[in-house]
Amino acid sequence: MKTVLSYLAAAVALSAIAFLLGAYQTDVYRKLLLWIALAISYNFLFGISGQIAFSHFSFYGIGAYTIVILITQAGLPLPLAVLATVAVCVALALVVAIPATRLEGFYLALATLAFAQLFIVVLNEGGSITGGTGGLASYRLPEILGVRVAGPWYTVVIVVLMLATLAIVGRLDRSWFGRACRAVRDNPEAAAAMGVNVRRTKIIAYTITSALAGVAGMVYAFVDNTVNPHIFGLENAFLLLFMVIVGGSGRMAGAILGAVLLYVMPFVLSPLIGHHHALVFGIFMVLAVLFQPRGLIGLWDRWQRRRRQPPAPRPQIAKGEAVKREGLA
Amino acid sequence: MTAAAPLLQVRGLCKRFGGLHAVSDLDLDVRAGEVLGVIGPNGAGKTTTFNMIAGAFEPTSGDIVFDGESLAGVPTHGFAPRGIVRTFQHNKSFDSLSVCENVMVGMHTRMPASLWQVLAGTPASHRAEREARRRAEELVDFVGLAEFAQAEVSTLSFGQGRLLEIARGLAARPRLMLFDEPAAGLAPGECARLEEIIRGISRQGIAVLLIEHDVRFLMALADRVAVLNFGRKIADGTPEAVQADPAVIEAYLGNVENLAHA
Repeated sequence: MKTVLSYLAAAVALSAIAFLLGAYQTDVYRKLLLWIALAISYNFLFGISGQIAFSHFSFYGIGAYTIVILITQAGLPLPLAVLATVAVCVALALVVAIPATRLEGFYLALATLAFAQLFIVVLNEGGSITGGTGGLASYRLPEILGVRVAGPWYTVVIVVLMLATLAIVGRLDRSWFGRACRAVRDNPEAAAAMGVNVRRTKIIAYTITSALAGVAGMVYAFVDNTVNPHIFGLENAFLLLFMVIVGGSGRMAGAILGAVLLYVMPFVLSPLIGHHHALVFGIFMVLAVLFQPRGLIGLWDRWQRRRRQPPAPRPQIAKGEAVKREGLA
Repeated sequence: MTAAAPLLQVRGLCKRFGGLHAVSDLDLDVRAGEVLGVIGPNGAGKTTTFNMIAGAFEPTSGDIVFDGESLAGVPTHGFAPRGIVRTFQHNKSFDSLSVCENVMVGMHTRMPASLWQVLAGTPASHRAEREARRRAEELVDFVGLAEFAQAEVSTLSFGQGRLLEIARGLAARPRLMLFDEPAAGLAPGECARLEEIIRGISRQGIAVLLIEHDVRFLMALADRVAVLNFGRKIADGTPEAVQADPAVIEAYLGNVENLAHA
């Protein structure tokens, strides 16, 4: 009950903001919400399930392109097109996951990188279906029962999408499935000995998170009302990775923090140092990986812990951390 | 012995690694509530045997029958749901989970809520989660780690990590529990505590199979002892009978007569 109320409160507050913004700010706000949604689902795939996959942003693109094609070219009504898009994302995720989850670490990264590249090639070569390099444009969100959701109300749709993603991923994380995913990442051999079907767990995690990315893409399609190959390139796939790592992989709050920070950073830095903001990105990444593998949220945790029990030394924990630091050195 | 068939029946088990016969033609029985110890010098095939019974290695030939069902072709993750659970010699914990959550992973195959129920956040899934946490706390308490229930695994000592392995295994409600050198690396006080815990497990009617280097620890604990040497069983009986067996003495000490003549 308490969680339901806090979700409602967040929905109301985030939606209220939508009605206060001008056109440009609305665009920034919507994309921020979409990045947060993507970072939350990618955090489950990368941070919790431990799958180094670069296909997440491609599924965002698949969702966007599929719904546009189904509506404008196949002429499906919106609700049907939404269901069909989800089905396409799930099917494609399974096609990728079933062979790819046999691979680990570096090889999974390579395979999904190849998939992401292939997706761009397909978009560019797709002729009139995908619109080639120019993509698809000049379409609009169809009306539902004579009403076209637009303006701040469409921003509300995005708020609901983001919170629904958070709720779904949060539930998974706090369930036996989330524990199984972490167990598989930490120690697959021990997980299997406890009865966890390692491959199946990875496939399900990959499919659910990829489908969530697809749904976010579907919503994105009607933000800019244009989709093109340039948007769904690897650059953004890496940005997503950076968001989760800098924020703190494996933690929902970390993913949200990373998404907000890295999305907002260029807006703050560009006026100051122009295109050099990419350099600041890189420095942030290196610092995070070197000194704070748990990300910014890890810093926050440490500060909280220190605040809660100030001077009392906790020898056992101190010892554990000392060992970890030695291990890193 | 009762007339009922043993819970675990190993028949003609063989494992070859290339030209090496790690285990040859091995027969073993374990009954419910019985503690079977398996010992042998280094390289006798203990660990290979253990890994086959735990489902980590596939036998080259022979059969493992558990509760009347052959385990041939059953994948590793199929052993826990059938009631066979192991511990690891080198503790293999899930480091990003708390002590309590590690134990909850042990309940993986016993969780009543489906993934759909989890996604929908049904009351049944919340209830299952609460119940799992309560049971995990009980088990953590049973092995004596209650004060660490919410701690990170990295704060545990090696011996406490071993106890966590046991609690996690018990969470799966096993009928046969396999211990891979449970006393290895433990201080004497910890060994005594471990002995007590394994006895407690056996008293609950759970069959126990343990392989062990520490002969004294094993002889005190086991109802029956099987001795392996060069991948074959050379003795099987009560601890007293096995200790008096000339073949066992020879395997451990070499040929004593030759030694005397030297």
